[in-house]
Amino acid sequence: MAEVAKSVITDEMHAAIGKEGPPTVLEVEKTNCRMFARAVGHTDAIFFDEAAAKARGYRGIVAPPGFLGTPIFRPGGAAGVPGEMGGRGFSVPYKRVLNGGTDYEYFPDAPDGDVICAGDAITARTKIVSFEETEGSLGPMLITKRETVYTNQHGKIVAKMYGTVIQY
Amino acid sequence: MADEFEITDEMRAQIGVDSEPWTYEVTTTSVRMYARGIGTEDPIHYDVDFAKSQGFRSIVAPLGYLGTPVYLPGQNDPTFGFPRRAGGPRLNIPMKGLLDGGTETEYLDVICAGDVLVETSHLADLKLRDSARGKMLFITNESVYKNKETGQVVAKQRLTSIHY
Amino acid sequence: MAQVHFEDVKEGDEIPQLKKNCSTQQLVLWAAGSGDFYQIHYDKDFAQATGLKGLIVHGALKNAFLGQLLHDWIGEAGQVRRFGCSYRGMDEPNQDILCRGVVTKKYSEGGKHFVELDVWTEKPDGKKTSPGTALVTLPSKN
Repeated sequence: MAEVAKSVITDEMHAAIGKEGPPTVLEVEKTNCRMFARAVGHTDAIFFDEAAAKARGYRGIVAPPGFLGTPIFRPGGAAGVPGEMGGRGFSVPYKRVLNGGTDYEYFPDAPDGDVICAGDAITARTKIVSFEETEGSLGPMLITKRETVYTNQHGKIVAKMYGTVIQY
Repeated sequence: MADEFEITDEMRAQIGVDSEPWTYEVTTTSVRMYARGIGTEDPIHYDVDFAKSQGFRSIVAPLGYLGTPVYLPGQNDPTFGFPRRAGGPRLNIPMKGLLDGGTETEYLDVICAGDVLVETSHLADLKLRDSARGKMLFITNESVYKNKETGQVVAKQRLTSIHY
Repeated sequence: MAQVHFEDVKEGDEIPQLKKNCSTQQLVLWAAGSGDFYQIHYDKDFAQATGLKGLIVHGALKNAFLGQLLHDWIGEAGQVRRFGCSYRGMDEPNQDILCRGVVTKKYSEGGKHFVELDVWTEKPDGKKTSPGTALVTLPSKN
């Protein structure tokens, strides 16, 4: 890894590593499952049709891969979008930001896990996993990795999201 | 051809003929999205606890929002979302242009998140006008929305589209 | 597609490709579906003012395409355990985006049958724009 002229990682940032932030609630409903599935272009009826989903043994319409619910929107307040680009929090001297990528992990097996279905209320908790500084073609960069754990209304783990944000 | 378009007796015969019903769902996420789209900040449309404290079942659908039609690929128009269903009017419209001519909504009850509505519609009027742009066809539809659980009519809508 | 089984698969196999081509309308649908209303995906003037040549496809939408690629391949009895990608290259609307996957490893553990894959999206010239990996379970014929 290339040496960086000056580190932008503060003591406050170091202290935040591994600490869970406040929980966010996301709602999974028929309308938003269908909207996501429609936007991607899915054809499987389990993402649209409740009867088809139940016939395949699911509790209800299934959340398509990558869909973890819609955060509760509050006008005038922080939208509270977890994961992908949310929770950047710290003030760093880089003006530009890139979404470096996202991985989703699912835990569909009972008894501790479950599939995400319409009707679920998902709680998301995010923590910073690491800060990394590097120098590349775009200049000095700060790479922040976060992990978000998603549990449902029954306390079962349903997903984890691993996100990378690049500030430069 | 659009210039030679005329309203026929066959088209007029469809006036008043009810479509098959379709389910429209009112969810917390869709109510909030509609409210957010308008730009209203009234918590009655966002905060379930607040709405209940005001005596409502849940957050209230903003005026104009009558639920989202169940979307099934191949059964709904991919741009406008309306269901293509049996019993609806079949009009061959040669005009390429489309504008929203206006909507009137009559409420008979408050609509809240959690409500499931059943909608039927029928063709109410057809008018053809000449204009500098050529022939303009005004199509008016009337829809009736009933609460699925109670069977009560909760809203009626009259919508006009302009084809030019 | 007929249900694919663990025994049908071997390392190096490519799974059926999924071709996408986003209209600007699809990018608006995605904004509604994802809640990401960033203007670089639907407002050309805005996108160009940020230095982009024009509108670009959301990285997260390409990730979701890879989710569909896997979901459609594994069939009703398979399960997606993990998938994701890095957003390396930009893709634009009205251009083919090809979603592809190749099996890299298969193994059985704890009564379940796992398949690891490299997945990615690529442009018509073959350039990979979103390289990633996936882990799925498949049913066994036994």
